[in-house]
Amino acid sequence: MRNGRIAVPSNGNGGLDATRSGHFGHCDVFTFIDVENGEIKKVSTIQNQEHIQGGCMVPVNLLASHNVKALVVGGIGMRPLMGFKQAGIEVYHDSQRAGIRPVVEDLIAGKLPEITDDQVCGGGGGSMRPE
Amino acid sequence: MSAFKAGLEENQVQTAWAESGSNAIVRIAGGRFDLVVTDENLSDMTGLELIEKVISKKPMVNCAAVTSLLPADFHEASEGLGVLMQLPVRPGQEQAEKLLSRLKTILNLAEQATTD
Repeated sequence: MRNGRIAVPSNGNGGLDATRSGHFGHCDVFTFIDVENGEIKKVSTIQNQEHIQGGCMVPVNLLASHNVKALVVGGIGMRPLMGFKQAGIEVYHDSQRAGIRPVVEDLIAGKLPEITDDQVCGGGGGSMRPE
Repeated sequence: MSAFKAGLEENQVQTAWAESGSNAIVRIAGGRFDLVVTDENLSDMTGLELIEKVISKKPMVNCAAVTSLLPADFHEASEGLGVLMQLPVRPGQEQAEKLLSRLKTILNLAEQATTD
């Protein structure tokens, strides 16, 4: 991915050196990484909104309204995945690494796979639980 | 279901009924629905199967499900589907009002998310 905004569900205050949240719907903040010509130009964060049962489309609206092009998750439920697809946001998958920086670097380098429909899982959480 | 339906309609909610899951899918595909409430078992699929089919095409549609499962079991069975509310086998007016209240909360949060 050479241009556009990447979002990563993050713990604590977020940022490029923070850790990823394993449950995107319950994450503390989203870290935004703006990429131009394959380089990181800006890093910012946005507070996640309140999560209530059935509210997994709220982050879809939130990220779409902030012009996010790609999202990196450890796991995601079917409904939000379909929502992101409908909103034109690509969803990438890494279930191993807790850090934000390495998955972002891999995404920029084109080394991170898009999540497939058979990788969807329960509760908007996922098989990965990085702390 | 009549008390549940009455509870919805008392709050100016228009309701429509479908006789089967496949009929519901056709109607939902061709219309604008804010909420789908499914019985536990339909003539051609389970309620959760219907919800899965609905959200695969229209993820913005909110769904609630009648179920006899215990809450923890229902949570396990419906994970990832983003079900708005679990309803008892014979939902009444109280459940209708709770469901509408939750739907309004969700819709308000979704609206806020687009304006933040």
